[in-house]
Parts: sequence; C-alpha cells; structure tokens
Amino acid sequence: MWATNAKIVGIVLGTLALYTLIANKIPQVQSEVPQTLTLGANVTPEQLVAAGEKVFNGIGGCPTCHGLGTRAPNLLTDEKGQGSIGARCGKREPGKSCKQYLYESLDQPGAYVVEGYQPIMPVMTKQLSPEQVWAVIAFLESQGGTVDVTASDIPATSPTSPGGGGAGGGASFAGGSTDPKAIIQAAGCLACHKLDGQGQVIAPDLTHVGSRRNAESIRKKILDPASSVAKGYEKLAGIMPKSFGTMMNAAQLEALVQYLAAHK
Amino acid sequence: MTDSALLLLQAAADTTHAYGEFPVIGARAFIWITAEVHLMFAAFVLGVPMFAVVTEAIGIFGGDERYDRLSKEFTRLLLVAYSATAIWGAMLVFGLSTLYPRFWAYLTAIFAPSMWLYAALFFIESFTLYLYYYGWDRWKKGKAKLGHWTLGILLNVWGTTVMFIANSWLTYMMSPPRDITPTTDPTTIKLWHAIANATWMPINVHRVIANVVFGGAIVGAYASYRFLAARTDEERAHYDWMGYVGNFIAMSALIVLPFAGYWLGREIYQYDQSMGITMMGGFMSWLWVIQAFLIAVLFLTGNYYLWIGMGRIPGAERFRPYTKYLLIVLVLGAIVWGTPHTMIADSKELAAMGGSHHPFLGALGVMSAKNTAVNLMILTTFLSFLLYRRANTRPVVPWARTGTIIQGAMFAVAAAVVLFYGIRGYFVEAIVRIGFSVYQVLAVLSCIVFVTVIDILMARGAQSLGAIRWGKMPPRSQYALFILAVTFTWLMGLMGFARSGIRQYWHVWQVMQDTSKYAATPALGYASKMISLCVLIFLSLVAFVFWLGGLAEKSTFVATDEAEKGARRVGH
Repeated sequence: MWATNAKIVGIVLGTLALYTLIANKIPQVQSEVPQTLTLGANVTPEQLVAAGEKVFNGIGGCPTCHGLGTRAPNLLTDEKGQGSIGARCGKREPGKSCKQYLYESLDQPGAYVVEGYQPIMPVMTKQLSPEQVWAVIAFLESQGGTVDVTASDIPATSPTSPGGGGAGGGASFAGGSTDPKAIIQAAGCLACHKLDGQGQVIAPDLTHVGSRRNAESIRKKILDPASSVAKGYEKLAGIMPKSFGTMMNAAQLEALVQYLAAHK
Repeated sequence: MTDSALLLLQAAADTTHAYGEFPVIGARAFIWITAEVHLMFAAFVLGVPMFAVVTEAIGIFGGDERYDRLSKEFTRLLLVAYSATAIWGAMLVFGLSTLYPRFWAYLTAIFAPSMWLYAALFFIESFTLYLYYYGWDRWKKGKAKLGHWTLGILLNVWGTTVMFIANSWLTYMMSPPRDITPTTDPTTIKLWHAIANATWMPINVHRVIANVVFGGAIVGAYASYRFLAARTDEERAHYDWMGYVGNFIAMSALIVLPFAGYWLGREIYQYDQSMGITMMGGFMSWLWVIQAFLIAVLFLTGNYYLWIGMGRIPGAERFRPYTKYLLIVLVLGAIVWGTPHTMIADSKELAAMGGSHHPFLGALGVMSAKNTAVNLMILTTFLSFLLYRRANTRPVVPWARTGTIIQGAMFAVAAAVVLFYGIRGYFVEAIVRIGFSVYQVLAVLSCIVFVTVIDILMARGAQSLGAIRWGKMPPRSQYALFILAVTFTWLMGLMGFARSGIRQYWHVWQVMQDTSKYAATPALGYASKMISLCVLIFLSLVAFVFWLGGLAEKSTFVATDEAEKGARRVGH
C-alpha cells in the first residue's frame, strides 16, 4: 500500500507542480495601485515617456479600447497603413501640431472621432491629472514621432486634480462656483451632451431633460451614471464618468440638478 | 443599526492603524489561505449533502438499500469536515478582525444582523447533521425513514442559506449598490439593499452548481483511494461503482456550470464595464488561458475515465473505434478555447506580433470560436456518456433503429446550429454576437435533454450483453479520478482569485480602498503558488478526514450483483 500511497502523492504533487509551472511561465502582470504622479521642472522627455507609458497601461486604462482594433484606433501599432500614433498625429488636422492634436483629443474626444469608430472615449482631462495627461501625450509622441512635451506644458496641479489621489469634492472645482453654466463648462458635459444648441450629440440631448427626468432622477444619474441608460444609447453605457459626485460639492450638485430639471 | 455594531465601528475608527501584520507570511497570505481552505471545506460540506439526500431518496423510493448505505457513507465523511470548516472559518474571522480591523468593522457595521443569523444557522445545521447521521439506523423504517430523509433536506436548506448569507458579504465587496459612495456612512446602509447587490444571485447559483461538481470530484477521489486500498474483489467493485457515481455527478454538473459562469460574467459587465474588461481583457486576461488549460484537462480526463471504464463493459468494444474521433474533437476544442484573444502587451510585444492580435491565431481567440469549441466539447462528452450508458445493452423496442437515427440527427442538428452561429458571429456586431451564444447553449441543452429521454425510452426491456465487471478497472483509471479532484480544487482556487482580484486595490469596489502594503493585486505566478499551497493543505486535511472516517466505521461495500443493480440507476 505504501507504493500506492507514494504514487497518489506523486500524482497530486506533480499535477500541482505542472499548473504552478505553467502559471509562472506566462507573462506576469501585477495590478498596481495608481500612484500620484509628480514631475519636476527639470523632467526629461525620457522620464515623461516612461511615466506616460505607466499611465497609459495603468490608471488611464487606454489599452482597454486602443489595441483591440475594433473599439478604437490602434495607437502603438500601425493603423490602416498610417503608422503608429506618433507618426500620424501631426498629419491628422491641418495646422495643428502633434502635441496640440493629442491634447485636444484627450480634452475633447468628440472633436476628432476617427472614421469607422464610435465616439465612446471619455474626457481624459477629467479623469487624469495634468501631469498624467502630458505624460501620456509624451508617450504617444514617442510611438514613431518626436517628443516635444516639456515641463513648461504642464500647468500647476491643484490638490483636487482628478487622478491625483486627492479626496475629491474640493471647493476649487469650477472655482467653487455654483453657477450651473460654469459647472457644466468645468465638468465638460458638452463634450458629449448638447444643451441649448451647444455641445455634441454623442450622448442624450439635455435641452429638454427636465421633461424626461425629475430632479431626483437627474441627481441619481449624475452620481451613478450606470443607474439608468437612455433608450437608444445602450451601447454607450458605462462611458459617462462616475466621478462627478466626488468632484462637485453638494451646493454645486444641487445647482446643476435644479438647472437641468428646469430645462423642460 | 445596533449599539454593539456602532461601538465596534467606533472602536475600529479609533484604532491608530487600519492594518495588522501576520508573522513570516504576511497578512494577505494569511487571509488568502484561511479564506480559500475554509471555502474548499465549505464547498465540500455543502456539495456532498446534496447528493447524499438524493441517493438516500433513490434508496427509499427505489427500494434499493445499497443506496441508503452509500448515502450514509457520504454523510460520514461530512462529520469531521464540518469541524474543519468551522475551524478555518474561525481563523478567517480572527484574521480579518486583527489584520484588517477597519475593513472588518465596516463590514460588520452593515452586515452584523446577517452575521448573527449565519452563526445561528450554522449551529442548527451542525446539529441537523448530527441527528441525520447518528439517527440513521434508529429511523430506518416507514415514516421514521421519511422523517430522516426530511432531516437531510433540512440540512441542505440550512447549508444553502448559510452560503447565500456569506455570499452577500463577498459580493457586496465586488458590486456595492451604486448609490453607496466612499462617504456613505455604513450604519445608514439598509441590510437588504447591501445583500441584494448585482452579483449576489449569480454567485449563489454558480456556487450551488460548483459545490455539486466539487463534492462529486472529492467523493470520486475518496472512492478511488478506497479502490486502490481494497483487499477484496467485492470491496473493489463497490468503490469502483462509487467512483463512477462521483465522477458522473461531477461531470454532469460541470456541463451546466459554464452557463452559470456566463451569467455571472454578464452581470459583472453590466454592473461595471471597466471591471468586466479588467477581468477578460485587462491584467487578468492570461488567467483565462490557464483556465482553458484546466478545463481541457477536466474534459479529457473525465472522458478518458469513461473510455477506460468501457473496458469492463461487455459489448463496449463496438464503440471503441469512435473514441479516437471524440478525442480529436476534444483536443481541437481545447486548443481553440485556450487561444488568447486580448492581452496586456507592451509596445515591443505588439510590434513583434504585428498588431494587437496574432495574425492567424487572433481569429480563433474570439468568443465566436471559443463558444463553438466549448459547446462541441460538451456535446462530445455527452456522446461519451451515451456510448458508455448503452455499451452493454441492445435495445429491443421496435423503433430502436429509428430512435437511434433521430438521436444521431439531434446531435448533427445541435452541432450544425453551434457551428452556424459560431461562423455567423464573425460577421455581426458584438452586441448581436453575444446573443448567439444563447442559441448555441439552447441547441446543446435541447440535444442533451431529448436524446436522454429517447435513450431512456429505448432502454426499456433492452437485451443485456453481460453484466458490468465492477472492480475490473486498471489503477490508472483511479489515478485519473485523483487528477480530476486536484484539478477541480485548483480551478476553484483560480476562479476565487479571479473573482476577488478584479476588485484590484479596493476592499469594496470604488467605496473602500485598500491602503495596506498588500494593496496591489499579485500576478498569476504568485497567485498560482498560493493556490497550490491551499490545495495541498486542503487535500492533506481531507486525506486525514477520510482516514478518521475509516477508523470510525467499516465501509459500506456490498456484493457485486447489488452494485450492478445500483449502477443501472445512475446511467446504465
């Protein structure tokens, strides 16, 4: 019986060893905790690129869509014979440098939707800190192009900048203003929504939102965008940032809610 | 909210440190091990009573006392396993309250009443088990026996309820209701609101089925050990049959499990798309390649066991030539299922690959191909069962030939439907493609149900080609059962890592952040070592439990002819 027992132990240990070995032979990817990015005045292009790559693959979540080939254009590899993003970004919009084009694409994604793709990209300047945004731009430029981002491009970061690890809800959002128009401007709502003739038509038109939703429903939608999805926009579910509730203070939120609810 | 919970919360808030440390292995590893081993024992003690009560019912209503004794043997394994479950559960609670005090206080602030109910039900469940087991010989006849069987049902009711309660805690960590934010006072959260979160019911269903699979696999391993240690032919025959029953139950439930997993995955996506993408296309994408490998091992080993088993069945030789074709389908299916689709890759790796997908394999890595592969593997495994089941019989009903042709046609239609939607999926949008998987699943399930019904009707009065020679199995068949048990257990550890790991650096997703030094979610290599360690601890303890069970009482084996009669009820 000892021989049988030894065989059983051998099979159990051998099976465990095989599975463990295979799991250790594949590429090892650890999910890191996002770190606050601090770049000094003497930051070099190499440092920016390295930091940008981390943001791109980490907190930015960019490969989630860019790299699948179906959701958004490839950035790190060739896109329809035009090369990777660093090689093509300067040619996308006449009169705009690569740096300008990339920044505007991150700040107003609806402005330059590449043909054949859906306008699903969130406003990254609302999700990342300025350091992170400019580091990503430097990284993208390095993909086949020349890095010309410098420390002077990066504005001073406020303590409540998104992506900076701050607690959020700070008074400095929209300068602490309770003017709904200032809040809408700061939150970048018009990058996707249309309101009173301005903005994009990617997401539902808010001009008559008050006739469709009451104040409570609007408040809930802002705090929890996934709580309901307007009919016809199901494919865009999950695109609206979830961070507005922590970016605004209570007075700002209420001012915005009442303003939109009044749009009958 | 109760005063005691508030006091506990306040005490935790007053604590200067939110985290403790465990010597040598660290706090996270301690929690990992205790939670995982506790879960494995819990799955065992929840899964085994399910088919213990079913086999007892077969014994009662079928008049075959052999099933009754088998059920008692299953239950005997539970006694010590219950103690082990409770001990590991207590270690987990002590670990959480001392190593993660602030997080634990947060959970108790919301869930305290359900925790009391959990403890009470566990207490009741334990005593129901004692009554169930120790009353076995006392309540053996007539109405008393039915009362005894009712105890078995109650045992399952208590156990399942206990699991549902515990599931609510862990699913709340994954998918807290969206109106709960980091600033929400946990004492203001309604208990039911927290319990009925987005992933609670999918996890409940998935775990009920998985527990049956797991229980079947462990019982199979137990039987195979007893088979290898048997001193007489009768004993060997009994444990050969018991191992077959365990494997039959495990593989049958495994066939349904992917559908429950699909529902869970869909709910995760609907709750938070970024969480779903992290799981399938983010840093966990490689995990599914490992999972595919494990599932391939399960399918291949399960079928291998059946094919060897046909060697002890007179008449099975006429089906043997087909096994090589079944093997080809299974291997091809496993290769397709294991083909990666989207993985985290850096720019150099992408450049080396020539794009975001491999130029050739990329086409096989998409869900259309994978769904097609797994459905064909399920159909193939079912066909193996069918051949095994019919091996020593020849149907005599006048419509036997027509029935067989209809069965063959059903297989062909199901395979055609699976292939059609698999290919069509390449030419439609993702949202349409997702719906195709439902048609594929329905085709396979319909085939399984209708072919089984026809087979049962055809088997009436069938001519026997000879009795199954129970016990006449080569030892390698029993080692296959061990591989199945180890693989099921490892797979459970891997999927537990996937479910827990997609929260990444959050104790409670986007509500309570993990700020400890263990906040980063480790890579699969480290996770695999932890999983193997947990499996080793669990299997060592289970072996000890089985040994103790053997000390307590003699086995329940009976003569071979009874084994033959009994086996007919589970697939012959």
